[in-house]
Amino acid sequence: MGGAAVEMRSVSKRFGSVEALADANLSARPGEVHALLGENGAGKTTLMRVLCGMLRPDGGEVLVEGRRLPPEGTRAAAAAGVGMVHQHFTLVPSLTVAENVALGTREGGGFRLALERVHERLTELEQVTGLPVDPGAAVAGLSVGAKQRVEILKALYRDPRVLVLDEPTTVLGPQEVDWLFGVLRSLVEEARTVLLIGHKLDEILRVADRVTVLRRGRTVLAEGREAVDAPGLARAMIGRETTPAARPARVEAGERVARLKAVGALGEDGRTAVRDVTLEVHRGEIVGIGGVEGNGQRELALVLSGRRRPAAGSADLPATVSLIPQDRGAGGLVAGFDLAENTALAFHDDDAHRRGPLIDWAAMRGTAHEIVTGFDVRAPGWRATAQSLSGGNRQKLLVGRELARAPDLLVAENPMRGLDIAAAAFLRAKLVELKGGGPGAEEAGGAGGRPAGAAPGIVLFSTDLDEVLDLADRVFVLVRGQLIAVPEAERNPAGMGRPMFGSEQA
Amino acid sequence: MDAAALQAFLEASVRLGAPLALAALGETISERAGVINIGLEGSIIGGALGGALGALLTGSPGAGVLAGAMAGTAIAGVFALFAITLNADQIIVGTAVTLGGLGITGVVYQSVFGATGTALTLPTLPALPLPGLSALPALGPALFSQAWTTYLAYLLAPALWYYLFRTRWGLELRAVGEEPTAADAAGIRVRRTRVLAVLGAGFLAGIAGAHLALAHAGTFAEGMSAGRGFIAIAVVVLGRWNPLLVLLASLFFGAASALQFELQAVFANVPYQLLLAFPYLLTLAALAGWIGRSRAPAALARPWPPRSGE
Repeated sequence: MGGAAVEMRSVSKRFGSVEALADANLSARPGEVHALLGENGAGKTTLMRVLCGMLRPDGGEVLVEGRRLPPEGTRAAAAAGVGMVHQHFTLVPSLTVAENVALGTREGGGFRLALERVHERLTELEQVTGLPVDPGAAVAGLSVGAKQRVEILKALYRDPRVLVLDEPTTVLGPQEVDWLFGVLRSLVEEARTVLLIGHKLDEILRVADRVTVLRRGRTVLAEGREAVDAPGLARAMIGRETTPAARPARVEAGERVARLKAVGALGEDGRTAVRDVTLEVHRGEIVGIGGVEGNGQRELALVLSGRRRPAAGSADLPATVSLIPQDRGAGGLVAGFDLAENTALAFHDDDAHRRGPLIDWAAMRGTAHEIVTGFDVRAPGWRATAQSLSGGNRQKLLVGRELARAPDLLVAENPMRGLDIAAAAFLRAKLVELKGGGPGAEEAGGAGGRPAGAAPGIVLFSTDLDEVLDLADRVFVLVRGQLIAVPEAERNPAGMGRPMFGSEQA
Repeated sequence: MDAAALQAFLEASVRLGAPLALAALGETISERAGVINIGLEGSIIGGALGGALGALLTGSPGAGVLAGAMAGTAIAGVFALFAITLNADQIIVGTAVTLGGLGITGVVYQSVFGATGTALTLPTLPALPLPGLSALPALGPALFSQAWTTYLAYLLAPALWYYLFRTRWGLELRAVGEEPTAADAAGIRVRRTRVLAVLGAGFLAGIAGAHLALAHAGTFAEGMSAGRGFIAIAVVVLGRWNPLLVLLASLFFGAASALQFELQAVFANVPYQLLLAFPYLLTLAALAGWIGRSRAPAALARPWPPRSGE
């Protein structure tokens, strides 16, 4: 055990009535990529925030390279050589890349901020890591993937002994993931330590040397890479067996529910984000649209769901369109509303949920209850507010609510992102059931029966190409605002990747 | 307007603009750190009384300015304690500090000097004509024949600009005002940065108050800050949180106030109350017409750490 780079012993932490960490242990050696796995709410991020000095643990101790860290203080942790790439960006949008990188460093030492030194060192790092970045660009204008690269560069710039990355791959394309893993390998070759939080097991197993699994705040497994496999890890994470998701049968598509003709749309910055997209969606099919984030997915999803009028072309849309937006915080749930109130956002003008001009709260609670049970939303009580739920449970609530509306068209942007294995498998099954017009719709909804053959059309946007390939009947990629159909013969990750990264990398 | 009148107008513009500039430059730093200090008015009136007492006790107007600065800092300290350390709502605390500052200075003034009605006479800050510069035609006497506190405002504007945009500490302060979570993750002490910014703003607002008592009026009167703290906050917006533009905006507002006096002379038959409102209307118009393109610090008035959840 001697010479552990990071040693966390019996760490515990409560948030109110929730026990986030209970006796969590972690030991990582120098020169290894150490994966930290667990379901949503298992305490992975909390444990790493304790390591970085952002949270004060209720008990336990933290040692970095043999030295004990004080229980709180980001400076002490940084001084000990711990750097972290957070799951949510910690960049200041109004500053440039170089300014963000310089933030909190002693660059220039004296009085004046030596931004040119930052530029120089960033250029060096760029050569070492093979990562293109414009130090003078404003962060606000960068794509999500580029922001992630800046986060990683920012951490590397500080020359950390221990680098923590919290789900860094969720916003990266496959080539970028390869690049990142290459960088991580070269870091551990310099006897540094990488702690990698992840949820995609096959991806993690490609790069990890050792694995620690947390379940409900406790360490349940700590093994070398050679001693574990994906099913075993999934079992350790969930605490029981999982059944692999069945590849859905191709269903004969029904009548057309939506048609886009030569649609164009503008992004937030006023530039063209979607150009000349023509697409028909039929009942009972899943249209899968892959691509790296920031290529127009957001705008196309808004047009498809009727939330934004196209800037060019025409969109024929059905009466009821459900949208599962990318940003569940801002896009679908009100943080301070309880479960029934959040349910009411979708059903407030539904006849079954009102009495005259008044909301029928009993019916609303009933529907909320069906969603909570049908989608296994873990909440301390139905009066719980959305913000008190963990990220994964918030997603389940939102997805459950949108499916319960019995839509004609369902538009989902990365619906599985942030879901744990069990929840993602469950949601996949729901989507497949739904397109078959099967019992899933009734079960989840209860909001008015659905005639057979009235399954919705589903448009699934995902940055996870495997997800698109697994679920979709027809596969497209969105590249710089253009929708490119992937022919049946090319239906594989490489076939999808070619149009995405063919000419230039965004 | 003849040459003498023009010169008088310019001189009045600078005289009226200087205390605004001092207070607004401080507020610029505070707002860049994400704190909107509505209690600025309290620091100004505290600075005016502190300046008056200090000058009276020592006989030195310079010592009065220092006493005013300390009084302004102390009042800002009350704001910082509640709004930052205890994380109470910035607007509510600021309002309380302004009202409390106006009240307490009145009480102290009356208990020290009594409510006699005779005006206090204070040693005043003399005008210091700068050799050479003050001889420039028209602008010279207006800009360069003022009390030293006015020159302080001239010097502070570029110094604070350099601090904000060219030093590490300025970058850290801006990050705290834009995205405190990111600043915290980078190891910057968010609360300490904010407290220091607020205290600095109080220091300058105190000097602004002392300037009012010692360079303008030569006396202290209850409520003599006359809303300048609020005008300074508007001036910060008008100056787009940029110290150089904030100095210009202060002088612009000073000019509008000075013009109002001229207008009273020209339009003798118009009720003077309407003309008194002129600078404020002009500011409103300027804010509405010009500000569309500028953006406040993203975390302005947002508590830290965030109150709800993690």
